[in-house]
Amino acid sequence: MAVKAMYDYDWPSRSAAELYGDDQLVHVWFRGNVFFVSAQTFRFPKAMPFGELVGLCKGFFAADPDFVPDAMDSASWKVDGQPITPVLDRSLEENGVGHKSLVEFTL
Amino acid sequence: MTVPAQKPVRKLSMKQRYSALTHDLDWTPTYVTEDEVFPHTTFEGIKVHDWSKWDDPFRLTVEAYNKYQAEKDRRLYAVLDGFAQSQGQLGLTDARYMNAMKIFLQGIPIHEYDAHRNFAYLARYANGPGARFAALCQSLDELRHAQTEIHTLSHYNKYFDGMHDWHKWSDRVWYLSVPKSFFEDALTAGPFEWLIAIGFSFEYLLTNLLFVPFMSGAAFNGDLPTMTFGFSAQSDESRHMTLGLEAIKFMLEQDEDNLPIVQDWLDKWFWRGYRLISLVAGMMDYMLPKRVMSWKEAFELYFEEQMLGGLFKDLEYYGIKPPRHVDWAIGEKEILSHQVYWILYQYSHAAAFSTTIPNAEDQAWLEQAYPETWPVYRDTVWDKAQRVMDEGGRYFNPGLPQLCTVCQIPMGFTEPGDPLTQCQRQSVYEGERYDFCSDGCQWIFDREPVKYRQSWLPVHQIFQGNCGGPTLPDVAAWYGLQPGDGAEYLGSPDHQNWLAWHGQAPQEG
Repeated sequence: MAVKAMYDYDWPSRSAAELYGDDQLVHVWFRGNVFFVSAQTFRFPKAMPFGELVGLCKGFFAADPDFVPDAMDSASWKVDGQPITPVLDRSLEENGVGHKSLVEFTL
Repeated sequence: MTVPAQKPVRKLSMKQRYSALTHDLDWTPTYVTEDEVFPHTTFEGIKVHDWSKWDDPFRLTVEAYNKYQAEKDRRLYAVLDGFAQSQGQLGLTDARYMNAMKIFLQGIPIHEYDAHRNFAYLARYANGPGARFAALCQSLDELRHAQTEIHTLSHYNKYFDGMHDWHKWSDRVWYLSVPKSFFEDALTAGPFEWLIAIGFSFEYLLTNLLFVPFMSGAAFNGDLPTMTFGFSAQSDESRHMTLGLEAIKFMLEQDEDNLPIVQDWLDKWFWRGYRLISLVAGMMDYMLPKRVMSWKEAFELYFEEQMLGGLFKDLEYYGIKPPRHVDWAIGEKEILSHQVYWILYQYSHAAAFSTTIPNAEDQAWLEQAYPETWPVYRDTVWDKAQRVMDEGGRYFNPGLPQLCTVCQIPMGFTEPGDPLTQCQRQSVYEGERYDFCSDGCQWIFDREPVKYRQSWLPVHQIFQGNCGGPTLPDVAAWYGLQPGDGAEYLGSPDHQNWLAWHGQAPQEG
């Protein structure tokens, strides 16, 4: 539905992909763990290998004292709700991760 | 000598007197058209046939209004003086209590001022004199409320952290984007939508849930100034509620084509307002040393019983249905405060209030108030946070949260019936993804995506480099936060001062 206004109402997004250059925002969600109260938003290069994201997660989620980093190696992954088997040496983009995609894992 | 019998003075009824005093305040323009004088009241699609049907049941005059308000102000300022002279802050239940008032000061007065501005605009741009005068009074009320709230709380700024830069914080700090975006959403809508958004949904539907907890919280925790302010504002609030109700009834009675438009706004603004006052839920159940009632009880009384059971029964006559997504809100009443406070707890290192793990007494209260849901959160998050404390740490989230595009709250709300799985909703508009915490916020976005894609989301702004830099100290400096404003309560300057004022040694560590 168009916004009711006295003129042609059209304004750009304040978080459009082009505002981040070669990077993009990515939401990483540790499903089933509410110690991290919500999914986390990161700014990552589109060309960053997926394996690097896994490595970062191992450090980041260690703020939970019960987290076992090595368990990440057998995590199951979804991107925007679709199950994927990530190729770790390929980029986020090549693994189907776009701007503001939701990357979800379950241990 | 005989005195001629005086002719008895004919007394006018209140309605006649009001009409005699005000009847020359409105006229029909002849040099220009009505549309040229009032250009903003048609584009939203609301049809009005007779503006004189807008009744102002209070029939106040400016003279009476001023007299009445001046008297209330005199009483309030006498209390403020007495409290300051007697060092009243020492009689609070605990310094922890001030965190609730910090959130109030940071999140409310500046938007009272927004409301003042927009009601002043309506006092000029509404076609009918009844609507204009009611808007004028409310505009003055809102300005007074902004001023008296700031004056009331300014005393505490001398003794407590987290109160010095509320004005700047409102424009910058992440959780204050929640009320800011709510009010700016309403300010940028048309005049009729504003009346449903603020006049009706906020001032009528949800007002008791917002104000009663703060003011009773103040009364229970030794905060005489805030309580007095609350009483001083209460009589205005009843006038505002009447204006809100008058506004919706007027629109519905003027033309039956207005019904779907009004229902749509009601659906939107119920959910916007409900999400906004989730901050009150967290405050009520977790931040008051002495509780009044639980959020769940307040929601049942002030919303389910009074609004759904009372107001909406009356509005049925016009064809109005209870707001969309109301069942979702009812379903959240057992879990809302736990989730909100858990958000505040883990991000309070970047906030201007402090948080702490509920102590044994708090936990006993939570257990009896929420026998089903408190144990879930105690076992999954609080026990773990306690373990981190016991090992000499303090759990703060090391990153930045995914935010809802509409309410702007970190997406920590869960799926209905599943308190441990966060709700994830996404919409794609013109090739870009947007995230939402709930069906309610997603529905609001999908109605007007071009409006909400402009959301100033604090996390996205930080990542774009617009908030002072990439690290937490950079952002905190840009926010204007000083050491002691946020983070953990235990051991904070507020806590240590409190102990020193009461002759107790600060705790170790």
